[in-house]
Amino acid sequence: MAVVSAVLLLGFLWAPHAQANDAVVITALRDPVAKSYRRMIAGMELFEKRRGLAPAASLRFKLLPRNRRTDMESVQLAIEGSSFWKALEVAPDHTFTLERHDAALKENASVMPDRKAGTLTWRAEIRTPGLPPDTRRLGDLRLECEVGMQARLISNYRPLFFGWMDALVREGPEYCRRDAPRYLFFADRPLWSVTLVAGARREVLPVDRLYGGASRDPDWKEDLPYCDCEVLMDRAYFLPLGDPSWPDDTRVEFEYMEGGA
Amino acid sequence: MRALLAACAFLGGCAVVQPPAEPPLGPGEIRSAPAALQALALGKSRKADVRAALGEATVIDFESGYEVWVYRERPRDKAPPPAPELVLLFAPSGVLAKARVR
Repeated sequence: MAVVSAVLLLGFLWAPHAQANDAVVITALRDPVAKSYRRMIAGMELFEKRRGLAPAASLRFKLLPRNRRTDMESVQLAIEGSSFWKALEVAPDHTFTLERHDAALKENASVMPDRKAGTLTWRAEIRTPGLPPDTRRLGDLRLECEVGMQARLISNYRPLFFGWMDALVREGPEYCRRDAPRYLFFADRPLWSVTLVAGARREVLPVDRLYGGASRDPDWKEDLPYCDCEVLMDRAYFLPLGDPSWPDDTRVEFEYMEGGA
Repeated sequence: MRALLAACAFLGGCAVVQPPAEPPLGPGEIRSAPAALQALALGKSRKADVRAALGEATVIDFESGYEVWVYRERPRDKAPPPAPELVLLFAPSGVLAKARVR
């Protein structure tokens, strides 16, 4: 018991940015699969406040696999407080929505999947309807980053071991307004290239903005277990979110490893 | 004395005219990305062919069997970063499937 208490205390001491009421963040592993309901509601509030970035889009949250053994089928999800409990419906694409429940906020509830810590990660999913296949809209992705940071959706086992991930765990939505934030987006399939298109301007992202920046990091494989991109590296990309020369309507085009010339 | 000055001027002139020796390319470095691309054949070139033609690459290998190889032009003094890059995709079969110069 003393060992457990010591581990919990260490977890607390190593989480200086966790707020007193964010109980789910203060755990022995520092990588709970559950997320704070309050934080996720704060993300939804930010979505409403900043929805000028994506006026026609809606917000969902998405569960993603964190390791190869994760069974993504039939994930059960619920809001759990001390007395509050409500099941959430998870769509076949592993997305879900949240509603506001004052009782759950009051009880500082968690959004809890029936999966162990380290098996899942989370992202916001903001999509403008009607876009061509294999494209996204930059404004949607800007807002995804801000909501994701506000809701603290990124999980990382040992942040100190993956330097730039540390910033992602600690910082808020303002992080997304930097020129080249390293907020990891994941495409639907393994990526070959990402191209930004705005009017006649067309620019292929350099390869160091793909695959979590692995082309500039000789130690990327050693760090991988501590990144929530662990099994999604071939789909991972960064975008120049804070670069105002790219308007929100910029089209982000994907070409995948399989298919095409 | 005149002869000495003439010899110095001659030697100095030689020193100016002679280009400095270019250091050898490092791993993942190439002189020209477009020229390197010309040396490869999509659907035919294999990893060993590319290694023989361009040297060692920066390799990102995935569990799927796909590999991304990256070559970058050596940065020139006055060229703004990033340096031009040649990016290659090898299919799990080991054959060059895609390539781009950026």
